[in-house]
Amino acid sequence: MIMPQQIGIVGVPPLEIIRQLNAEQAAIIDLDEPQLVLPIDQSDQYLPRVYCAILRTVLLNALNLRLERIYVDVGPGKCDCALHVAAVLKDILSIPVIATRNTDTQSFGFPVCQSSLPLIEKMRRITKGVQSCQPWPQLPACPPTAGFWGVPPRDFSILAPFPDSTHIYGWTRCMENKTPADLELESYCNPAVPTVFFAQSFCAKTALAKHLAARHPKALWVDCDVSAGSSARAKIEAFLELSGVLGDGCAAG
Amino acid sequence: MLLADFGTSYCKLLDTAQNAGPQIIPARELPRDFQADIGTGHNAKRRSTSTVNELTALARGGRRMIAESDFTLLDCGSRDIKFVRFKNGEMADMGWNAECGASMGFTIELLAQYYRLDYAAVPVPESGFSVTCGVLGLSSIFDAVASGSSELEAAAKFVRGIARNAFRFAGSPEKLYLSGGLCENPLFVACFPCEIIPLGRFVLLEGLKVY
Repeated sequence: MIMPQQIGIVGVPPLEIIRQLNAEQAAIIDLDEPQLVLPIDQSDQYLPRVYCAILRTVLLNALNLRLERIYVDVGPGKCDCALHVAAVLKDILSIPVIATRNTDTQSFGFPVCQSSLPLIEKMRRITKGVQSCQPWPQLPACPPTAGFWGVPPRDFSILAPFPDSTHIYGWTRCMENKTPADLELESYCNPAVPTVFFAQSFCAKTALAKHLAARHPKALWVDCDVSAGSSARAKIEAFLELSGVLGDGCAAG
Repeated sequence: MLLADFGTSYCKLLDTAQNAGPQIIPARELPRDFQADIGTGHNAKRRSTSTVNELTALARGGRRMIAESDFTLLDCGSRDIKFVRFKNGEMADMGWNAECGASMGFTIELLAQYYRLDYAAVPVPESGFSVTCGVLGLSSIFDAVASGSSELEAAAKFVRGIARNAFRFAGSPEKLYLSGGLCENPLFVACFPCEIIPLGRFVLLEGLKVY
């Protein structure tokens, strides 16, 4: 039996690349997500400790997984830090590290973002969907009662307090739409629903998150590093409770 | 109904079935098996039948105690600082600093014991240390004392730095409602560059009465 090639991806590589990998029946591994149970400090050898936790995770995965090659999306669909990390990976790995610039404009829609699935499940489907060039199956949309704007967090546990009727905005919506460089779509948010604006600590997107949160009538801006601390989770819970999104906020001890 | 605000250093208790007011008990003196009906604070989960988020309790308590529809309320406890800002009667902003604001209140109390200071008798210094955290701020005190400053002067500069940091964290309002243990520290209160209205140590307990 021939094992499929294991190909690492960072960000959302262009559709053309994903089509090619799907045709090769390659096993695509999303290096942005924690794939191994290893201390993130192991990335300190090559990256500063005060750095985007997603890209530190990329480096940790790339160092410890058996991969044939890696596609790192850089530029407007990802970030300058990914460009620099791609340079580091090229230098320290013996496999091909290919930098791509995704400027795709073909919209695939964002039914998952607007569905009534639990927020963590929405996020799982969207991040998994990057590995496929197929259009999304249709899902019924639900009216939003809350919003989550931002990138998929490294630690999904911060999504747990949100109701299922939370709609996703920001770069995650661009991911589902397969247009990661669409700044207009990324900047869109719904002023009618209380919204948490999230970015990873030390990510360039913190500027956009803070800016949009300041303009939104009912917003909370939150950033988290490697994992969601108790204060970040508590802020989100309190925000959702005090905004009337959740119940009275009294939980079993 | 037994309500409790389980702070890091002190526990504030209120039995709503009794006419007596709230009590303050040092956290280390609380019996191991003590349980409240509704609790908030750092140790609430293991000591309460049901729990309420600290920020939620602060916001609900503030809304019960403050008549205005626009206000900023800052809670300075032993371990962390948190604030809520209301506009037109609705929550507009909030923050909880458990990392960079760590152990401010605890360190201020520790200093008073170590250097035998009475904060009521300490004048407000003209300048302060640039400190964001109780633990890191200790180095500034030791450096100042080693450079010839009196212990009292160094501690006062530390307290001023802590107060100014908390003020900025709350969004630098013109008027600030203050709650938590540091309400009772006259030097800390006097170091804020804005109007301060202390509400005392039971604002979170007040917030628990809603449930």
